[in-house]
Amino acid sequence: MRPLVPVTTAARILLGVAFFVLFLAAWALATLGGYVNRTFLADPLTMAVAGWRLLVVYGFARDIAVTIWRVVGGFVLAAVIGVPLGIAMGAWKPVEAFFEPFVSFARYLPASGFIPLLILWAGIGETQKLLVIFIGSFFQLVLMVAVTVGSTRRDLVEAAYTLGARSGGIVRRVLLPSSAPTIAESLRLVLGWAWTYVIVAELIGASSGIGHMITDSQALLDTGQIIFGIVVIGVIGLASDYLFKTLNQRLFPWSLATA
Amino acid sequence: MARLILEGVSRTFPGVRGGPPTRALEPTSLSVADNDFICLLGPSGCGKSTLLRIVAGLDAPTTGRVVLDGAAVGGPGADRGMVFQSYTLFPWLTVEQNIRFGLREKGVPAAAQARIAADYVARVGLEGFERHYPRMLSGGMQQRTALARALANDPKILLLDEPFGALDNQTRALMQELLLGIWETDRKTVLFVTHDIDEAIFMANRVAVMTARPGRIKRELTIDLPHPRHYTLKTSPAFSAYKAQLTEEIRVESIRALEMTRAL
Repeated sequence: MRPLVPVTTAARILLGVAFFVLFLAAWALATLGGYVNRTFLADPLTMAVAGWRLLVVYGFARDIAVTIWRVVGGFVLAAVIGVPLGIAMGAWKPVEAFFEPFVSFARYLPASGFIPLLILWAGIGETQKLLVIFIGSFFQLVLMVAVTVGSTRRDLVEAAYTLGARSGGIVRRVLLPSSAPTIAESLRLVLGWAWTYVIVAELIGASSGIGHMITDSQALLDTGQIIFGIVVIGVIGLASDYLFKTLNQRLFPWSLATA
Repeated sequence: MARLILEGVSRTFPGVRGGPPTRALEPTSLSVADNDFICLLGPSGCGKSTLLRIVAGLDAPTTGRVVLDGAAVGGPGADRGMVFQSYTLFPWLTVEQNIRFGLREKGVPAAAQARIAADYVARVGLEGFERHYPRMLSGGMQQRTALARALANDPKILLLDEPFGALDNQTRALMQELLLGIWETDRKTVLFVTHDIDEAIFMANRVAVMTARPGRIKRELTIDLPHPRHYTLKTSPAFSAYKAQLTEEIRVESIRALEMTRAL
C-alpha cells in the first residue's frame, strides 16, 4: 500500500461494510459464545427482537420522532442566531472584539452542567431540552463561523475592491460565498454534537425520547433495548450526515473541499 | 496630458517586534500620459509592487499623493483595474460571472453585462469556457480571465502586477502578445510591473527603472519601437540595444540588493 493513493469506489464500499460485518461477528461471538454474561451485554439477536418489540408494541417511533424534533429545533435555533453573529464577528473586527472573549469563555461551559439549572428555570419540558442543545452548539458554531469568515483570502477581497466593490459588496459577494462551504461543513459537525447533547438532556428528567427509553431500560436491565436505542441514534446520525454532505456537494460544486 | 501623477510617493513599513522600520519606497514621482504603456522594471524586493498597490489604493503612501485625472486617490476604486500575480479569480463564480463582477457591482443592466462579458471572453480567446469554474482552468486561462475581468470594467488605467510571472515561458510570450494586441486596439493607459527586461521592452512605450530597496525611479527610458509589435521584434538589433542598456542598469541594482542582504 502506497501512501495517499486513492481506492476505487467499489473497494471503498466493500471495505467499509467489511468492518461492520467484522464488528457484528465479534459481538455475536462474545455474547452467543457465552464469553460475556448476558445480563450485561445482550447478543445481536436479542437486540433485534427487543428493537422490534419497542417499535411495534411500545410505540418507540414516537420517541424517535420527539428526539429528532428536539435536535433539529435546538440546532436550527443555534444556527439561526449563531451563523449571522459569526459572520458579523468575522467581517467586522470591533464586533469580534466585543463578543469573542465572552464566546470563547462560554464555549468551555459544559452544556450538561447546565441541566440542573435549566430544569430549575424551564422545568423538564421541551424548552429545557432545546436550551441544552442550544448552549452546547451555539458558542462553538459562532466561533467556527467567525474564524471561517475572518480567514477569507485577502487577495480576493483586494481584487473585489479594485473592481469597485464597497463594504456591503465585499461582505455579500466575497466573504459570504467564499465562506459558505466551510460554514456548511461546520453546521454538519455541530449537528453531530447536538445528537450527543439531546441524549444527555433526555437521560435526566425526560418523559419521552430515545434517551428516556435508554434510562427506563437500564432500570429493567434490558441491555438489548439500550443497545438498540444507541444503534438507532448512530443510524440517524449517519443518515443526516450523508444528507448534509450530499447537499453541500450540490450547493458548492466549485469548492475543491467538497469535490 | 497627464492621466496619472505620482507626487513624492514613499512608503515606510513599521518595524516588526520593535525592529527598525523598513523603507520600501523612497519618495517617487512619475507622470503617466493618456494611452501610455509604462513598465516599472526593477529587481525583486525593490518596492515596485508596493508602488502599484499605492496607485490601486490598496496601500496608503507614507508621504506624497497619487492624482488620477486631477483628483487625489483615497482608496481602491473601479477607475483603476488591477491584475495580480497570484490567481485572484473568485472560485465560486464561473468565467463569465467573474468577468461580470465589476459590472454587476456598478449596477449595469443584466443584458448589457452579458454583452460586454461575451465581447471580452472573445477578445481573450475563452469562447466555450464561459461556464467553467476557475479551478478547471490552466494558469494562463485564469490570467486571461482576470485581464478580461479588469478590462470589462472599463477602468481609466490598468494596473498589472507581474501578471504573467507565474506562467511558463511559452504561455507568457503568448499572453504578452495578447495584452499588447488589446492595447494596440484600445490604447488603454497601462502601468505594468515586471522584473523581466524582455517583457518590459516588448510591451512598453516607456520603461521606468527602479533602484534596489529602498526603491526609487533612477531612469526613464523611452522605447521607440513601432506598433504593431510582432514577436520577431524580440530578435531585432534595436531590441537588443535596449536590452543591453537595461541589463546593465538592472544588474547594478541586483548586485546592490544582494550586497544589502549580505550586510544584514
